[in-house]
Amino acid sequence: MLAARLAAGDDHALAEVFDALGHSVYGSALRVLGDNSAAQDVVQEVFVELWRHPGRYDPAVGTLRTYLTVLARHRAVDLVRSELRRVARQERSYRLTPAPPPADAGDEVVAADTAGLVRSAVQLLPASQRQVVELAYFEGLTCREVAHAVGIPEGTAKSRLRLALAKLEEMLDRQLLESS
Amino acid sequence: MTPADDRDLPVLPPGLRERVLAASLRARDAGRPVPDAPEISPVEAFSRTASAFYAVLCFLDDDDWRTPVLRGLDVQGLVGHLIGVEADVHRALAGDPDVADAEHVESTQAAALDQAARRPAQTRADWRRAVDRTLDLVRPADAPARVAVHGLRLPVSALLVVRAFELWTHENDIRQAVRWAPSVPDPSTLRLMTDLAARLLPHARAALAEPVDVRLVLTGPGGGTWDVTMGSSPASASVAIVTDAVGFCRLAANRVIPADLDVSVTGDPARAAAVLAAAATLALD
Repeated sequence: MLAARLAAGDDHALAEVFDALGHSVYGSALRVLGDNSAAQDVVQEVFVELWRHPGRYDPAVGTLRTYLTVLARHRAVDLVRSELRRVARQERSYRLTPAPPPADAGDEVVAADTAGLVRSAVQLLPASQRQVVELAYFEGLTCREVAHAVGIPEGTAKSRLRLALAKLEEMLDRQLLESS
Repeated sequence: MTPADDRDLPVLPPGLRERVLAASLRARDAGRPVPDAPEISPVEAFSRTASAFYAVLCFLDDDDWRTPVLRGLDVQGLVGHLIGVEADVHRALAGDPDVADAEHVESTQAAALDQAARRPAQTRADWRRAVDRTLDLVRPADAPARVAVHGLRLPVSALLVVRAFELWTHENDIRQAVRWAPSVPDPSTLRLMTDLAARLLPHARAALAEPVDVRLVLTGPGGGTWDVTMGSSPASASVAIVTDAVGFCRLAANRVIPADLDVSVTGDPARAAAVLAAAATLALD
């Protein structure tokens, strides 16, 4: 009934869902991100998605709570992943720039902290996965180039990268939680 | 769905609820269904329901045409009634004041009874010609904007949706009489019908002691959400009624009673019952 009401454009139904499950969705995002502001963005994204596409929730598959909290976790992991890439790009940029311009001290500390977290997480990966991550994200190689450089099939390079990213997310998740 | 009860859950930041709901409504207006049916014109809705009605007539055998349906009429008599309705609509579109307040059944009874001596194929062809004539009269850009017929004074666009309601209802009267499965209008046509019924709801005869704000949520294809007030505003009470779009149209056509509907109500059940009873008096058949 709730899904049907959402599909019919009943915004009161959306408010009811938020009142009942907003805490769980926020908690799910916060556990991954450890950051209040980013978690709020994820909550907004999740509820907008539910409102725009209520048909994507299938009651036969699970409860609405499970659907929304899993969606929140996925969106939060996406954010972490994109943050990883951003930090990797920044890392490459620092290396290629001999004398970085003076920056705001606070920003520098935050960037260095995050980059440090990522670097230490990468060091904890198994060697084969660490190698592909370094080539792909710190050296900027494509998957095909990584495969060629390491001497493995492209499919293997992709699966190693996927595994590595999943592990990194888990490790960063823990670290962010500990630091929050 | 139950409220979150996990003690470890964090406190929601202030303002997040408002922010999330506002962002959602920016992404999709309240009231609009998803998936939304492609928008069609009332002329198209009338044309589609006429085609569906004609298709049923084409599949009836001679015995079916003699099956009793409604008000003492058999199928052929009912089609004759509809030929009479088209004739009155043609006169109304030509500005004939005599049909403005003519009674819907009485005015068309002669046309209904005239069919008894005719072959079904003749009745069917006459009805088709009459409907095509209606379509020819309402399609031009300079067609009349408003019309007065059978006690109704309304825009031609609304009249065509009322007529779509009527054809769909009588198509299902015939289906029921000859024991065929009921039909459902396509979502685009249904959306125009639900919108019309919801907008007419405040004008229905309601046995309400005081004005009431009604949130009407019609689920399924062609549905949507409407906020209307029964009685003169401002209302001191409110009810929310959730039911299926097709079922609500059958109610508005006076073909089912509220007890036949699967309805979910928030608010005073007695007020909701009065609203649903009022919907049945719309008699959009």
